Amino acid sequence: MAIRANPKLITELEIYGAQDVSKCYHCGNCSAICPFSKEPYIFPRRSMRSLQMGLEAKLESDLEPWLCYYCGECSAECPRDAEPGETMMSLRRWLTARYDFTGIARLFYLSAKAEILAVILVALITGAGFLLYGFSQGSITQYNGPDAFLPASSIHIFDWILAAVLLALLLTNCARMWWFTVGRDTKVHVPLSAYITKIYLLPMHFFTQMRYARCEQKRPWVIHLVLMLSYVTMLVLIMFFLAPMWSGPAIDWRVHVFGLAATAGLLVTTIVFLRKRLKKTEVQYQHSHETDWMFLVLLIVVAATGLMQFTLHRVGLETAANINYVIHMMAVVPMLLLEVPFSKWSHMAYRPLAMYFADLKTEAMVSKEREAVRAPQAA
Amino acid sequence: MRTGVYLCQTGTGDLDAVDLHSVVNYAGNLPNVEMVKDLGTMPALDIEALVAEIRAHDLQRVVIAGDSPGFFKPAFTTAMNNAGGDPSEVRLASFRQHGASFGIGTVRAKSVLACATFGVPYGLAAVPDTTATHPGTVVIGAGIAGIQAALEIADAGKQVFLVERTGTIGGHMAMFDKTFPTLDCAACILTPKMVAVGQHEMIDLMTYAEVEEVSGSPGDYIVKVRKKARRVDVRACVACNVCTEVCPQRAPSEFDSGIAERKAIYIPFPQAVPNAYLVDGPSCTYVQSDGAKCGVCAKKCPKGCIDLDQVDEIVELEVGNVVLALGYDVYDARKIERYGYGVLPNVLTALEFERLTNASGPTSGKIVTKTKRFDKRRKLEEWVFDAEDGAPPTSVAIIHCVGSRDANHNAYCSRVCCMYSLKFAHLVKEKLPDADCYEFYIDMRAFGKGYEEFADRIKAEGTFVVRGRTAKVTAQDGRMVIRGEDIVSDRMVDFPVDMVILAVGLVPAAGAAELALRLGIQTDTDGWFSELDYNSDPTDTERGGIAVAGVCQGPKDIPDTVAQAAAVAAGALKSMALGRGLDSRASVSLSDIEARAAELTRV
Repeated sequence: MAIRANPKLITELEIYGAQDVSKCYHCGNCSAICPFSKEPYIFPRRSMRSLQMGLEAKLESDLEPWLCYYCGECSAECPRDAEPGETMMSLRRWLTARYDFTGIARLFYLSAKAEILAVILVALITGAGFLLYGFSQGSITQYNGPDAFLPASSIHIFDWILAAVLLALLLTNCARMWWFTVGRDTKVHVPLSAYITKIYLLPMHFFTQMRYARCEQKRPWVIHLVLMLSYVTMLVLIMFFLAPMWSGPAIDWRVHVFGLAATAGLLVTTIVFLRKRLKKTEVQYQHSHETDWMFLVLLIVVAATGLMQFTLHRVGLETAANINYVIHMMAVVPMLLLEVPFSKWSHMAYRPLAMYFADLKTEAMVSKEREAVRAPQAA
Repeated sequence: MRTGVYLCQTGTGDLDAVDLHSVVNYAGNLPNVEMVKDLGTMPALDIEALVAEIRAHDLQRVVIAGDSPGFFKPAFTTAMNNAGGDPSEVRLASFRQHGASFGIGTVRAKSVLACATFGVPYGLAAVPDTTATHPGTVVIGAGIAGIQAALEIADAGKQVFLVERTGTIGGHMAMFDKTFPTLDCAACILTPKMVAVGQHEMIDLMTYAEVEEVSGSPGDYIVKVRKKARRVDVRACVACNVCTEVCPQRAPSEFDSGIAERKAIYIPFPQAVPNAYLVDGPSCTYVQSDGAKCGVCAKKCPKGCIDLDQVDEIVELEVGNVVLALGYDVYDARKIERYGYGVLPNVLTALEFERLTNASGPTSGKIVTKTKRFDKRRKLEEWVFDAEDGAPPTSVAIIHCVGSRDANHNAYCSRVCCMYSLKFAHLVKEKLPDADCYEFYIDMRAFGKGYEEFADRIKAEGTFVVRGRTAKVTAQDGRMVIRGEDIVSDRMVDFPVDMVILAVGLVPAAGAAELALRLGIQTDTDGWFSELDYNSDPTDTERGGIAVAGVCQGPKDIPDTVAQAAAVAAGALKSMALGRGLDSRASVSLSDIEARAAELTRV
């Protein structure tokens, strides 16, 4: 098959945040410094090369960008200041856009204006919808009870519908990711049994991020893990324990201890990341894409309004609590609807999946080699 | 020719040295100049707008003026092309390249700009007048460059003062074991030259001396030299070694690159020229205690030639030409912590290995790893080379480009490291045929005559040549592990090794920048002395009668150094034969340059 090269690929990637890819002179310093670089996944140099050569199809089927946690050592030590770490980051953005069949992700990455507009639009629709619904069947002064402005049961149904939509979108994109990276790879065949026996890797990578812990610096791993676990805790609480969270003004500590801890985790970590991105002292936070800011801003607004919700409701300011809740949802819905399937949030799914796929492919390659060694002996 | 002038700065040059406002006004008054535009520092160039401007003014020539105008040339060339003009008429007026600093910045910038608008190379228009030249020459630095230049001039019967900072001549070359690509013994080439210098009646050798001041004007310089207190009478000393035997103080040997020790009174190496001892003040008990303690060497010296109370002496030399042959230092490998130099005992710099493998070195040329030893006097454990106890390494890794070709260290290529690394691989294989030898390189720069063949030969000898830079050397189980990407074979490699040699790059010699400032000559951004013209005048400098030879002008190997030193000698001899040498370039007035440039366009 002929190999197609896209000479403009670097220019395209630059919009996704790639810095000085063309400066790279392929010394291999970055691959040598990276604790994850191991056959058959040698990076970041090989990705730099593919980019310089414009090998779009190859990059699309690469798992390497997801195996990188961006500790920044490669960029800090790069003798050409070619920023291989940022290249991997921009490739993750580019791949997110590639996996997304709707084209929305691509639009958001290429145009900050489009993303901001979309967030505002979804926020306004959400706000209007919730207000209309509230006024149509309840009183704004009531938080709980039969005349509640926004009854917990209705919210719960709304949450599940939203979750279903998100899951459908994300799973479709994950399926496309599988097809690009494993499914259509004719050189490696992964047997079904391997998918099943290795399935434990998915939750393991998701919940522990143990590969991140292998980077030279351990702190980023801790912060990242706290953020992710807080987020997941909150998600579980809202999806399964909304009723006890909602009731009040008495505090149900069985759920709220988790809720408050998760909120604190989210607030602290987002503030830490915002500070790092503003200060730019560490190499991995020197180049922030618009989508990175959007991700953090939405998250901090959600966490802050969530905490406010808890407080207003407990002190008995029910009208204020209702208004605050509408504002909370005006941040939550765009964050989930736009960020989870189409932007930075999606790495929550892609990264563990990529590590799972990478393991499967490596194993398949090794067994293939073993067979190749055994075959001549049999003959 | 209708000319447009654009001023664009990159901000990397010495902008304060040039009054840009005055340059803009000046450019507007030049003949042919239709328009002048100051685009400021790092302008974002809009090619469409440039095309429109070129068309609007019907420009036939565009001059980009600035500290490093070449940076902006591609945009202007495209614009000129798109506008239907001749892209070869995009001319550069580089202020930095032509030395617009040192208080002459504005005038120099104007002259360079004027020449560019005339389409005449600045070097052709700005030719200084000649000035009467004194027949003496001072050569600063007595490495192979200084030795060669001094011999060439002295052999022609002219007086040379050879000033050397250390106690002996020979420089770095005297430390080397072999030279590439011929694998000749370095000492066999150098020592006869050193002896010739020592015996030459036209060479006044001043070792252990430093240039303090250079005053006067081209052709008539007065050089003030500080002859540091050697404390040993060079003429009387017969190098009997009694003083060294009785001396109680030790210090790391400079000549052995710190891998062995010398005494406070010592001779750098047995073939040193002059063949005489010297006292290193900072490590001598007598000198440090102001004469209160020790002094045993002076008492034991059979010739009575040690004067521990000697003080520095200043001499003034009257010369017509000054030759700078300062040489270089090697990059401080400690700055790259990942390679573990200074922490891991068997990580060596190139110069250390050079001494280790040299038959006159501390192990008599036996390649061994360091042995741990307890120093009773200092009460600490240290790693030393021991020819008897030391085990030969079973595998050796050589890392190229240490401190070179690296934006975090030195961006330039040091030019000699690839070749000397290959030479090391050969020496390892020659002495330890069973040892594995790995070379980690980025690009193999084998550019000279016979170099590529040499590289092929080394590869054929069984050295593993890995294309990929090593990022890290880590200690593991008493050995070291070296990790890198083997780019050609598409794999990651982790080689366990016993010895790592860092191919450290070259950096300007300590004090070179200070000397340049004192002499009024330019250095480039990396600190190397600037030649007058890279292509056509590679030995002269901005100041008349001051020439550069060897690595102090830029990294180069021994053959190139010798050639350049001989060229410098030719220049000096020419001025002596004529009795007149070139004045400084700064002596040419702006109006003269304008007139000459205009004249050149008419021819």
